[in-house]
Amino acid sequence: MDETDFQRLLGFFSRVQIDPEQVSQFRKLWTVRTFERSELITEAGQTERYFYFVLEGVQAIYILNQRGEKVVLGFSYSGSPSGVFDSFIAQQPSSTFLEALKPSRLLAIRLPDYESLFELFPDFYAWGYHFFKDILFGRLFREVELLTLSAEERYITFMRRCPDELKVIPQKYLASYLNMKPETFSRLRASARY
Amino acid sequence: MIHINIYLSKKPEFCINNINQSLQRMASLFISPENQLQRLNILLNDLERLQAMPIAVLTSPPRPKAWSIIEIIAHLNTSYGLYVEKVDRALEQSPDKETENEPFKARTWQRFVINGQRPQGNIRKWKMKTLKKFEPLLDLKNMGPSEVNTVFQIFIGYYGHLRNAILAGRKKDLSKVKVNSAIGPIVNFYLPECFEFLICHTERHWVQIAETEQRVREPFIA
Repeated sequence: MDETDFQRLLGFFSRVQIDPEQVSQFRKLWTVRTFERSELITEAGQTERYFYFVLEGVQAIYILNQRGEKVVLGFSYSGSPSGVFDSFIAQQPSSTFLEALKPSRLLAIRLPDYESLFELFPDFYAWGYHFFKDILFGRLFREVELLTLSAEERYITFMRRCPDELKVIPQKYLASYLNMKPETFSRLRASARY
Repeated sequence: MIHINIYLSKKPEFCINNINQSLQRMASLFISPENQLQRLNILLNDLERLQAMPIAVLTSPPRPKAWSIIEIIAHLNTSYGLYVEKVDRALEQSPDKETENEPFKARTWQRFVINGQRPQGNIRKWKMKTLKKFEPLLDLKNMGPSEVNTVFQIFIGYYGHLRNAILAGRKKDLSKVKVNSAIGPIVNFYLPECFEFLICHTERHWVQIAETEQRVREPFIA
């Protein structure tokens, strides 16, 4: 991991005060993992071994429906955390897949090392509180969007908040995330303004 | 005997087939590599449990002429072994593909053959006599930890091969090359059909393993 990557990682954990003498110890816990486009980072049925911070690329987390189609639950992208958190924390086989939609470079930390962060750096408890609060609020917000907004409203709301690198992934993933058919997504892309 | 009793004190775990049921249902309509990987992972996760079983449980047939658990695993090894080269060759001959494959729809005859293997929950339909060349040849009376471990290691190697083949197939156009099944050209498969057949065959025998395990345990429980 070069210095730029490490500074980005520190930026992600900006709430955490890491003393200068502990910086190298913190840095050693992380390794860079790279994935090609369409490579499966985590498979359903496997237990997630890492918590990730995304340096480059876009990843989708999805589950398979009764027709074998991918139902996208969320995305991760540059600067965001990634991984199958429930499987990682519970160390139980995952029911979801995590796939690299674009060539990806991720910083990875294993569970024992992740847990050691809380002992080594007490600020991680505060970070953990905010991190999981943000995830919870994000999921609640998405649930309300899915249940209450029309397809067009969902499209516009999503496009307004999503980062540019997410807008260029295959449409079928975005359509699935917004719970609409790719044809509907395509029509809205041509007609809706945001 | 003591170690068997300790093992038997654990709650029987037959839930794997229930977990698999909805995944199997979806694969009966459309074949996708992700669905196959998920089901394969579920089986491989359960393998660790089998490996931890006492040798007496693994090598005891539930009734005369029936297979023990280790013989079932050995049968799966024999069956898969007949596909290794066919799969490798077909993958080699299949052109690379940039775009993602759509879920594959098995052809009618192949679907019939595949569904003949596919268990329905914990029920194995269409029971059939095993051909001689698929029968496991193990000397059960002289099987120690090393021999049992060898059978498991072969299984791990072969099913690792299957896993890698499914993953490699995600980047290939698999609609160009067919392989003959192990029983000959009467059944040929495109690779997604072939993988599905092999997984269904394994799931079918996993149901048999669960049945065997239950019957083998009974004398010890009583």
